[in-house]
Amino acid sequence: MHSKDNQSVTIGNYIALAFAIVFFSGLMQSSEWYGVFDFTTLNGAFGAIFDGASFRGAGGSGARDGFIFALTIVPTCMFAMGVINILEHFGALKAARKLMTPLMRPLMGLPGTATLALIGSLQNVDIASSMTKELQDRGELNEKESSIFTAFQFIGGGLIVNFFSSGAVMFTLTNPDGSIAAPTSIGLTIMVIFLLKILGANMMRLYLKLTGQKIESVSLPMQAKAA
Amino acid sequence: MAVASKKMITDIFVEGARKGWNTGAMSIIPNIMMAFILIKALNVTGALSVLGVLFEPMMAMVGLPGEGAAVLLGALMSMGGGAGIVVGLFSEGLLTGEHISILAPAIYLMGSPAQYIGRILGVVGTKGSLYPVMIIIGIINGFIAMFLMNILI
Repeated sequence: MHSKDNQSVTIGNYIALAFAIVFFSGLMQSSEWYGVFDFTTLNGAFGAIFDGASFRGAGGSGARDGFIFALTIVPTCMFAMGVINILEHFGALKAARKLMTPLMRPLMGLPGTATLALIGSLQNVDIASSMTKELQDRGELNEKESSIFTAFQFIGGGLIVNFFSSGAVMFTLTNPDGSIAAPTSIGLTIMVIFLLKILGANMMRLYLKLTGQKIESVSLPMQAKAA
Repeated sequence: MAVASKKMITDIFVEGARKGWNTGAMSIIPNIMMAFILIKALNVTGALSVLGVLFEPMMAMVGLPGEGAAVLLGALMSMGGGAGIVVGLFSEGLLTGEHISILAPAIYLMGSPAQYIGRILGVVGTKGSLYPVMIIIGIINGFIAMFLMNILI
């Protein structure tokens, strides 16, 4: 994969991105018709097997309980990955890239050419790290910029793919009365992680600055970036 | 990674769901199983309650019971392991929904440093002296996330 691209971004791509945000935000979570636009609603629930017990059963422990529980997560993961594949097909990530490009310099002191690798790193850390190396070799990132960028990728690495393969599970756990246990949404959690990844990159920026290595870009106050 | 535009949306979904199945079989099931065995072992030996008492003061600052430390230690091994421990502790009744919300972002911010040293820092060619800095920033961010989630929920 080349680290530069000149594909144009269409309105459809933005719609796909907006849909992605709404779908995982939990805003539409409801048993009304608009629940069709919500991940958790469509993810549904397992039926009761006997006396209201779920198919995992109750009171298990150890390897066997771990296995049967893990099985209950697999459909959530398959559903999320299927939807993400569709959103990717309709260019949601392309739109995200376009929106991020002008923000790279003010947020992290990085050039806009790094945006493709930045968005890519949320999905695949291996492709993104080799793209970063390539940018560095071509001189588009200097050593400090490369370290800042690498800190972004390293903290919360592979965010989207890792979160949806194991983290989304935590938001499907239910209380004994069948209601969802976690009071926050998947969308909010991802947003917090993403903002803190940016903060992490800036901590690296600050560290490099304090240890005497100069960064040529303008520095912004920390809280502006976290906002 | 959009390929031919003639593909049916259903096929695209199925292709992604298949990836999800592979992730499930190859990563989720083994990781969660490991976490459950670990919790069982900690429980049988009584180490879990020791851990709970030991980390109580530190974890209380971020609104968590001491056992929450097991989740963070698990996350440092692997993100999936951390999530698995959350689930295990939840089913033991040691964590509540609020605790899950607090822990969730932290698991990913701190997660899997050993793996990513090889896959990111190694590939990019980051200076070795920055490795510990990256890991420490991840841990600090994990705690910031836990404070933040306390405010948000």
